[in-house]
Amino acid sequence: MNLLMSRDDLIHWLELLMRERILLAPTRVQGLLLFQPVSKVEDIAFDFDNTTLPPKGWFLPPTETLFSVRRGDGHTELVPATVEREAVIFGVRPCDAKGIALMDNPFLEEPGDTVYGERRARTALIGLSCRQAMPECFCTSMGSAPDDPSHVDILLTEVEDGYIVRAVTEKGKALLPQGLAEGEAVLPAPPKPQAVPAEGMVSAMRDLFSEPYWELLADRCLHCNVCAYVCPTCYCFDMRDYPDKGNIERVRSWESCQSPGFTRLAGGYNPRATKGARLRQRFYHKLLYFPEQFQDIACVGCGRCVKACPVNIDIREVISDLQQLGAKSGS
Amino acid sequence: MAVEYRPKIVGFLCNWCSYAGADMAGTSRMSYPPNIRVIRVPCSGRVEPLLVAKCFQQGADGVLISGCHPGDCHYTEGNYHARRRFALLHSFLDYLGIARERLRVEWVSASEGQRFTQIVSDFTRELAELGPRSEG
Amino acid sequence: MDSELIQQIQNQARDLLESGAVKGIIGYERASDGLTARPFFAYEPSAVERLIFDETCTHNLVKYLLDKKNEKMAIVVKPCDSRAINLLLNEEQIKRDMVFIIGVYCPGVVETAWNRKGQTQQARCQTCELLKPVVYDFLAGQEPVRRPEAELYSDILEMEAKPVAAKRAFWVEHFGHCIRCYACRQVCPGCYCPECFAEQLDPSWVGIRIAPKENELWQAIRTFHLVGRCIGCNECERVCPVDIPLSLLNRKLEKEVKELFAFEAGLSPEEQPPFATFKKEEKLGLEE
Repeated sequence: MNLLMSRDDLIHWLELLMRERILLAPTRVQGLLLFQPVSKVEDIAFDFDNTTLPPKGWFLPPTETLFSVRRGDGHTELVPATVEREAVIFGVRPCDAKGIALMDNPFLEEPGDTVYGERRARTALIGLSCRQAMPECFCTSMGSAPDDPSHVDILLTEVEDGYIVRAVTEKGKALLPQGLAEGEAVLPAPPKPQAVPAEGMVSAMRDLFSEPYWELLADRCLHCNVCAYVCPTCYCFDMRDYPDKGNIERVRSWESCQSPGFTRLAGGYNPRATKGARLRQRFYHKLLYFPEQFQDIACVGCGRCVKACPVNIDIREVISDLQQLGAKSGS
Repeated sequence: MAVEYRPKIVGFLCNWCSYAGADMAGTSRMSYPPNIRVIRVPCSGRVEPLLVAKCFQQGADGVLISGCHPGDCHYTEGNYHARRRFALLHSFLDYLGIARERLRVEWVSASEGQRFTQIVSDFTRELAELGPRSEG
Repeated sequence: MDSELIQQIQNQARDLLESGAVKGIIGYERASDGLTARPFFAYEPSAVERLIFDETCTHNLVKYLLDKKNEKMAIVVKPCDSRAINLLLNEEQIKRDMVFIIGVYCPGVVETAWNRKGQTQQARCQTCELLKPVVYDFLAGQEPVRRPEAELYSDILEMEAKPVAAKRAFWVEHFGHCIRCYACRQVCPGCYCPECFAEQLDPSWVGIRIAPKENELWQAIRTFHLVGRCIGCNECERVCPVDIPLSLLNRKLEKEVKELFAFEAGLSPEEQPPFATFKKEEKLGLEE
């Protein structure tokens, strides 16, 4: 027996939620699909594959003020960032939810990023199982699945006349509306994304650092920040203090290891001056360093980088190339 | 109580002609509205669109660029380059939704203090009628 | 796909590599979607069989020449791309004898994204008057049939005619989506400053904030830095992950430059760019 929700139930529930909390949902904006706060259910795109940008932007916004220092009347005051009231994100795909969970590793590890942590604590995730896999998807090869409930508070799975509802966490259970019916609806078989064999890849990478492969692959890389910005698990940032009439604001913004100046030091030396060194860093971070530190690959197989890269640097091809290179060198 | 709108004008005045002209207006005790904030530059040719756009971003309602008359540039040709640059900037700013009247390019010589006051008065009045920049 | 054209490109590439005349070929190969194209660098004669050319080859490869200044490279260019070579020659960023130009007669390209191929020619192809590259060492293909005419600046005129407030709202919305990935800058052959104004920290013109006002400053000034230099390859618009209509910006200035100075960038390596020159007696609407 499963809890069921009709389409109307869902709409009423979302309307209730948006009254008490900030409700973020996929919305169509000028041909893009973006998670935005909604004030009317009509603005929500219920029928979508996946959004242009992942929901990580709620927890790590492209730009935010971490704190301000206000000076006046002989005293100095530290004003912490205001974190919004309770929020709910509706329509989170399991891959993107896993992305957020992966980001929790660096951000919530002691001593913890308080701004991120507060937002995380005040936000619930309503997941939506995928009805179909896109050509760029490969979540099942990266430890996720189209119907994986692991990292959301509630998971909705579409069935013929509504949704099967699974409360995954206590937070999710408390969020559900009253009086949901139970029914005999059967969980549909999840779609099957393309498989990208990744066995042995992590260990192979330990020996491939000096391979000419990286400079050759980077020949066509433009060193923009697109792959990192559309990625659910990328989280590099820059921080600057900006003065404003005696006050100071500490601002944090997205940055990426692909940017040519990312590792440039005072004095001008850049340890990752070459295109190959920067591109290699991206894959090493995601596929070796992060797993070594946090026991999980920092890729969820959403395929956004595959779609967005202007020159078709395809992480699935890279994984396959790395395995081949690893096999050749006998690791 | 609503804050009364007082246009904020940033004026880039070239050191040799326009700034001297504005100075002459001052020493001759000529009056003109206080809305203009003057930035002295060596030449109108030093002024680049980045400076103009930055002024608008920071809340200016209008930007005045003033240099020597074409043919009289202290550096011979700086204002010829400025002339080309700003001929395009007018229509580009308008295209971005910043009314072309908000950018004013004038040639004011060191002896034209009166003319300078006239320009600033006219510009201030026009901007008052146009409204604050955030509304276009 | 025109197999004879591809054969010509491959043969020329193979000859250049086998004779050691060039270090590598910058061309196109099939992308991982099996449908569109992507840039490809061939360094061995055996690799030239991967070179293709078809209507999905929209990328402008000229930017890569700036990464390969120390080695002689061959490059496959369409007519629009070749204008970028003239731009870089004019601005002394590359040397003519360090590049072997494999020009292609181009009948036009379609819009592409990963796993998506448009059915009709891009708007910019429909108004392009160049059938062959403006500079080349070898020309592949056959002169194409004249493409359909379309009005060159109809979308620009439409935008110009809108009231100021409507134009403001339009750009505020689009610039609001910008995430400052700088893909537009990175792909553009005209953007090669070792330190971009947007990344200057002292003074901090733009700063690190990714927010509407900063985004607008970024977009407006990048466009203006390309005035009289943009050659209209439209790569900036193609690579933008949030679909900002950048061609509406660049082509506006292209139109103004054409009208005021009768100038188009990249048609000759010896041209005098409009912002490096002036005419004493010209009337540009800024007279007293």
